Amino acid sequence: MPSRSASNIRLADQCFSVLIMACAAFVTITLIWVLGDIVIKGASHITWSFITSEPSDAGRSGGIGTILVSTLLILCVALGAAIPIGLGVAVWLSEFTVQHSRFSNTVGTTLDVLAGIPSIVYGLFGNAFFSLYLGLGFSILSGGLTLACMILPIFIRTCESGLSAVNNDWRKGAQALGMSRSAAIWHVLLPAAAPAIIAGLILGIGRATAETAALIFTSGYVDRMPGSLLDSGRALAVHIYDLSMNVTGGDNAAYASAFVLITLIILLNTTAQSLIDRWFSQRIYAS
Amino acid sequence: MLFSITSAHSMALLFRRLKVATCSLAAILLIGWQPFAFAEKSRLTITGSSTVAPLTLEIAKLYEKTHAGTRIDVQTGGSSRGINDARNGLADIGMVSRALKPTEKDLNGFTIALDGIGMIVHNSNPVTALTDAQIKDIYLGKITNWQSVGGPDLAITVVNKAEGRSTLELFLKHFGVRNSQIKPSVVIGDNQQGIKTVSGVKGAIGYVSIGTAEYEEKRGTPIKRLTMQGHEASAANVANGQYPLSRTLNLVTKGAPSKQAQHFITFAQSDAVKHLIEKQFFVAP
Repeated sequence: MPSRSASNIRLADQCFSVLIMACAAFVTITLIWVLGDIVIKGASHITWSFITSEPSDAGRSGGIGTILVSTLLILCVALGAAIPIGLGVAVWLSEFTVQHSRFSNTVGTTLDVLAGIPSIVYGLFGNAFFSLYLGLGFSILSGGLTLACMILPIFIRTCESGLSAVNNDWRKGAQALGMSRSAAIWHVLLPAAAPAIIAGLILGIGRATAETAALIFTSGYVDRMPGSLLDSGRALAVHIYDLSMNVTGGDNAAYASAFVLITLIILLNTTAQSLIDRWFSQRIYAS
Repeated sequence: MLFSITSAHSMALLFRRLKVATCSLAAILLIGWQPFAFAEKSRLTITGSSTVAPLTLEIAKLYEKTHAGTRIDVQTGGSSRGINDARNGLADIGMVSRALKPTEKDLNGFTIALDGIGMIVHNSNPVTALTDAQIKDIYLGKITNWQSVGGPDLAITVVNKAEGRSTLELFLKHFGVRNSQIKPSVVIGDNQQGIKTVSGVKGAIGYVSIGTAEYEEKRGTPIKRLTMQGHEASAANVANGQYPLSRTLNLVTKGAPSKQAQHFITFAQSDAVKHLIEKQFFVAP
């Protein structure tokens, strides 16, 4: 009976569509729920003085000015170390090694394993290596470098896949024009891989800004305005964790700080995107 | 499609940018290192108990304000860490949220505040008091339903503290049990986490700092403190020494404290910081 099987198929098809839509709705609702909760409870406490002043009474009152400065400094150190090294390794993996050679496979696997390591392990490593062995102590420098180690694997992997996806004709075209290898990479391949670099950068910024476990033992707990990169400085995520889990009556300030953190991540991501867009578009002119 | 590449122009641009970046980096480092060199002489590092850390941080801020040119860095991580860091010299002063043990004779302890530990349940629970034996049986898994202790027919959710927490050590010592004997449903870290867990589960029982519990109850968080050995779990009873389950919050140093550390410890034990202790929901000794 062809009509029955056709209606069966239609029913199955509809069920499938509903299921898929339910999944999409679930994800959207979860996101709206989380954001809504933070906006409703946090936005009312946001004032200019909250953003600029120093925390007082263990963070219950006062603001998060010093903590914002520390967070941005830690992020600058992390990105400053991770971007050049990461791009270097990605270029090496995709342009300088024979694809699927044993060595490049080993490096690739190592990166994948490193990307899956929990952040607390990076924190313990950072504490042992940067803080104690290199003698940086609890400092923004050791916190930022620990974060750099943490975001490197995922940044390298995304950049590398972006570079590998560039059509081989571009490499040949550059060669035909007599461009040196470095010029071809700098002027043709990296700009072509810009979307992947942006994606890697955004993932890295998101992970680094939201990190608590790796920072509590490296950049530390001090909520004073940092005088140098060798001072300890409390990151925003550490502050939120302490307020919500350790400080009695810190919930309101925690929600407000979470609101600032989310706004900060959105701002940083859009800035990163537009910066890379501008930077690379200056080097390729389509005519 | 044809691409023309403006190589010379962009290289010049790039070099200019690199130069700016290098200069600003050098400037940051130069400015950055200078105060570090100056501050070195009068810097104290204090690490340890996450319970004591917010109080010490507040005391340190007041101390910095009244003693120009001093810097006190407070780091958290737990009492065990405070002991370790004080021992191996990483910290000038350690923070420990319990009395020192006989094996810690090499350290000097200075009590700065008291803290009681109260048993808490969800406030819909009609049970108001439990005997020590009942609490022990609940944590050992011998009593698993509130019905057995005069409550409703509801499974008991046992909330225990994580290994290394001073509250756990104090609890184990008071009830004479080992942590391996306890059958917890949930293992938690800080006080606030304990309160959030118990307020969210109707059949839960847990133990947290009394000052914190009092404050949360007043704010309307659905938790309730249980009376222990006939004494209400209140800050007043901790202060007068009647409440049976309490601990001291201490600053510790390896051997005798340095002159500067001693100065800070004396300040932390003085009346000048009493209001700070109460603000952090602890009891002044």
